[in-house]
Amino acid sequence: MSSAVLSRGREIARALPVAVLVGAIRVYQAVVSPWTGPTCKYFPSCSQYAVIAIRRHGPLRGTGMALWRILRCNPWSLGGVDDVPPARHEHRGAHTH
Amino acid sequence: MGFFDTILYPIQWVVAWIMYGSHQLFMALGFQDGPGFAWVLSIVALVIVIRILLIPLFFKQIKASRGMQMMQPELQAIQKKYKGKTDPSSREAMGRETMELYRKHGTNPMASCLPILLQSPIFFALFRLLYNLGNIASGTQDPIGPIDQPVAADIENSDLFGAQLSDVFLQTDDWSVRIVILFLIVAMSATTFFTQRQLTMKNMPKAALEGPMANTQKMLLYVLPLIFLISGVNFPVGVLIYWTTTNLWSMGQQFYTIKRMPAPGSEAERLLKEKRAAKAAKKGIVVEEEKAPEPPKPQGQRQQPVRKNRQKKKK
Repeated sequence: MSSAVLSRGREIARALPVAVLVGAIRVYQAVVSPWTGPTCKYFPSCSQYAVIAIRRHGPLRGTGMALWRILRCNPWSLGGVDDVPPARHEHRGAHTH
Repeated sequence: MGFFDTILYPIQWVVAWIMYGSHQLFMALGFQDGPGFAWVLSIVALVIVIRILLIPLFFKQIKASRGMQMMQPELQAIQKKYKGKTDPSSREAMGRETMELYRKHGTNPMASCLPILLQSPIFFALFRLLYNLGNIASGTQDPIGPIDQPVAADIENSDLFGAQLSDVFLQTDDWSVRIVILFLIVAMSATTFFTQRQLTMKNMPKAALEGPMANTQKMLLYVLPLIFLISGVNFPVGVLIYWTTTNLWSMGQQFYTIKRMPAPGSEAERLLKEKRAAKAAKKGIVVEEEKAPEPPKPQGQRQQPVRKNRQKKKK
């Protein structure tokens, strides 16, 4: 096995979960979200935050950040502008905006 | 038990107890034991219990939007600044500035995501519970909370105008049952549609009704009930009853909110002001229109940038 094949495999293993998660959120945004009207107290909205976080920080940390954001988006919070923090270190294959 | 049932088990258990408890209450009020209308009512009771538990959140939200009137001029200034601009980057900048403004005034009219997301597992749990009734009644599945074999059989055989709670449009051949289900699906779609229309058309400022986002929303408003109509044929009767009742409750709640505190700049606010003016006119008082302070006029020449070390001299 050449190392090129291995690194390609690793790339796919990283990109696939990101694509699946982002795809699921996009479906939510297109189909489910319009039913509730504008809901989120923050900018960017929770779902948009999740997309950016997963792309920037990967599926594990990104999902964790998105869940923490949803927990913060409750009736007791004030809301406001809350951007995804920048990546600590740029890892390969990560898409940053 | 499947994967979903394992995750949802605790919620199914709570849902089962709420339904069983309210059924017990209905029996105390004189309803018959065994299969019957009391089980249909227990689904309605489930909605009422959940929504009553959520009322503190609702009032919290209303309180949080109290300050909206104060920040009106600033909000209008932002809306004016981005009027007619539909490109994504200026829509984004507008959203950002609006949210910053809310934060600055310590007010926020949005409902927040968590409570809405928390309600969806309850819906799925009820869905699975009704779906599993047949298996529990026949003994192939373990009981869930108080719903054991005989109780499950009772619920299964309860009906609304002949349609049993676990009946699904696509899985029944009886046309009289199908007509009842069809009626419920239409009721569910119609209530969803009206709740949404009330929210978007009446309680959103005009500026928010422009742009591509608003257009997609308007389109979805008409397309989604259709999707609902199509997916409704896979829902058991109990879920349809739950959904319709939830919609009716939301509609009432929304009606109250929009009447009492409409979003500034919306159609509903104009109606409220008109009503107040008419009331005042009856008493012979003339209410003077509150005028928003004029935003600063744009000057012909922009202020020239000054180098840092020269800034002091100017002052």
